[in-house]
Amino acid sequence: MARSKRDILTAVFLLILTCVFYAATFTIKKTSFGTVGSEVWPRAILIGQGILCILYLAKALRGAYTEEEGQGGGLVGWFATYRNALVCFALYAVFLITLPYAGMLIGSILFVFLLLNFLGGWSAGRMAVHGAVAVFSMGAMWAVFTFGLRVILPEGEILRIW
Amino acid sequence: MLIENILGAAETLFTLPTLALMVLGVAAGLITGAIPGFTITMAVVLTLPFTFGMSPIQGLATMLGVFVGGLSGGLMAGILTGIPGTPSSVATTFDGFPMARQGQPGLALGIGVWASFCGGIISAVLLMTLAPQLARVGLEFGPWDFFSLVMFALTITASLSGDNLVKGLIAGSLGLLVATVGSDEINGVARFSFGFDPLEQGFAFLPVLVGLFAFSQLLSDVQDRAKARRPLMPAGTEAVRVEHLRAIGTVLRQWANLIRSSLIGVFTGILPAAGGSISNILAYDQARKASKTPEQFGTGSPEGIVAPESANNATAGGALITMMALGIPGDIVTAIMLGALLIHDVVPSPTFISDQPKLAYGIFMAFFIANFIMVAIQALCLRAFVLVTRVPMYMLAAVILAYCGIGIFALNNIVFDMWTLFLFGMLGLAMKTLGFPLAPMILGVVLGHIAELNLNRALSTSDDLTLFLTRPWSLFFLILGAFSMFFPHYQKLRGQVHWTLVYPSAMALCLAVPLFMMGGAVRPIIAGVLAMFGVWMLWRHKQRGWTLQDEVRE
Repeated sequence: MARSKRDILTAVFLLILTCVFYAATFTIKKTSFGTVGSEVWPRAILIGQGILCILYLAKALRGAYTEEEGQGGGLVGWFATYRNALVCFALYAVFLITLPYAGMLIGSILFVFLLLNFLGGWSAGRMAVHGAVAVFSMGAMWAVFTFGLRVILPEGEILRIW
Repeated sequence: MLIENILGAAETLFTLPTLALMVLGVAAGLITGAIPGFTITMAVVLTLPFTFGMSPIQGLATMLGVFVGGLSGGLMAGILTGIPGTPSSVATTFDGFPMARQGQPGLALGIGVWASFCGGIISAVLLMTLAPQLARVGLEFGPWDFFSLVMFALTITASLSGDNLVKGLIAGSLGLLVATVGSDEINGVARFSFGFDPLEQGFAFLPVLVGLFAFSQLLSDVQDRAKARRPLMPAGTEAVRVEHLRAIGTVLRQWANLIRSSLIGVFTGILPAAGGSISNILAYDQARKASKTPEQFGTGSPEGIVAPESANNATAGGALITMMALGIPGDIVTAIMLGALLIHDVVPSPTFISDQPKLAYGIFMAFFIANFIMVAIQALCLRAFVLVTRVPMYMLAAVILAYCGIGIFALNNIVFDMWTLFLFGMLGLAMKTLGFPLAPMILGVVLGHIAELNLNRALSTSDDLTLFLTRPWSLFFLILGAFSMFFPHYQKLRGQVHWTLVYPSAMALCLAVPLFMMGGAVRPIIAGVLAMFGVWMLWRHKQRGWTLQDEVRE
């Protein structure tokens, strides 16, 4: 059985991350008060984590984890497998970046509308349904939070409400 | 005193808004629990933002409603379609679905609902009686003991939540690490901010939780494009009528199975990390072993529905016992409730029940009442469940993803929390894909502050590290933690390798030591019984010549 490259890479990444964080504990400010320094607990965690990562790497190198079926196909295969998740993340990132301009109401309607189309298809009939779902669901949610729970959601530059 | 506390709690609980919120919570829980792919945890997490503006008792009563509803909702999908709505109702499908296919879906649903109700009520009674007693034991705990208890909670979560202990422990330590980011609670010093100002306050607990759990769960639900576009369930469940009277009779005739399964559920719930997903299988297995007609299991036996359903609802009470008495969550749902309590500046600890009796008894009673509400509105939710299941998963996922963002923003009114949600959503999905369990990480995030605070207190009191081994409770939890790490291997290899023959005896003998050290009268007696059990097991294996199962078969 083939060793899992994925697990080897993950273990190496986690080890590097542990080292970076461990190095960062030396930048934690030392105080004259307090019996136990602020760096003690993070260091204790990181030492434990480092040992666990070494164990994980050793197990991965020994072949304790094997490649699962369907993981092949290179970058294209990987993209095909995680296409939906990647689209969700990309759209969510765009939603957050444009939040100061579009505001929560318009931004969330657009986010839901685009995501529904990406996941469900772009035919005219579906787009009409998706548009209705986006407007009604997000409009209702926005109204509940704004008027029901009195939360001031970001209004954006396009549509000033307050 | 007890009556006074109950009356005081009733005053705050029996108000129209609170009861209405509980009804809504139970209904939401029933529907969400019934949808395969949506977990109870997700339902409770998504309810959280709505509870910010409520009083602590209203917020917790609503979430308890969702919790109880979710536990019972899982059985609808399991019985009608054979696909369990939640992991807590996996065993229900073994007999519920065959019974429904034999033309008795109404009876199967009725048995499930009433078994859930009885399990919930039994655990509510145990919760009200055991939690104050356990809290009294908790008052004996010093910081060393609390620190060791947290370590035990993390190790047992890591060992129970997946096949790979190392990955589970790494997930737990990552959770602890996430909890250290930001301002140190004791000295007020910023840690791991890497020069980025918003990180100096650290990550808010809820965006991390929602991101890790709900966000990543939704994304994995829509990963398969074709599946995401299909309606959740096929049509054909509209005509079902729940046969309540016949079901009550069937459930009550199996009182021994009901009580045994409920006790299994409560005990599993008390253990940190072991939730309904484990208790329903355990109870089903025990019911089959104890049954006079074990051959009927899997063919539509009522016993096979009563056992898992009473056990999974009873688990909720057990998990609440640990949270209320010690401030340590029994599972992820109670971890979220702990977070909700912290938002309302209520910190559960052994003194919580005596310091805030109104709130504590309000929670007890809310759990009790939620079971009655569940039975009352179950029939209505069956219809709503049928409607919801006609919606394709991608539509629900897209709307809920946006809702997660709005809800998280409402927590502190800062956009950074939405970025935190996004970041931990990615992390959660990556971890799931790479085979890392999320439960230890979530528990690590929740318990990180408690662990650090108690370690700090312990080391400030004395720099003698041997106190972790010489204080009885601390030693007790460390021994439990150490043995829990080997538990999955023990289960897998039981009777196949020699060390598994010694494992239970060694555990009993080791646990007897701290119990002897505790003094008094009862605990040394328990220690004596444990020690004798350990010695007896060793003697029995010696008599058999240390033979393994395979050797016996040969």
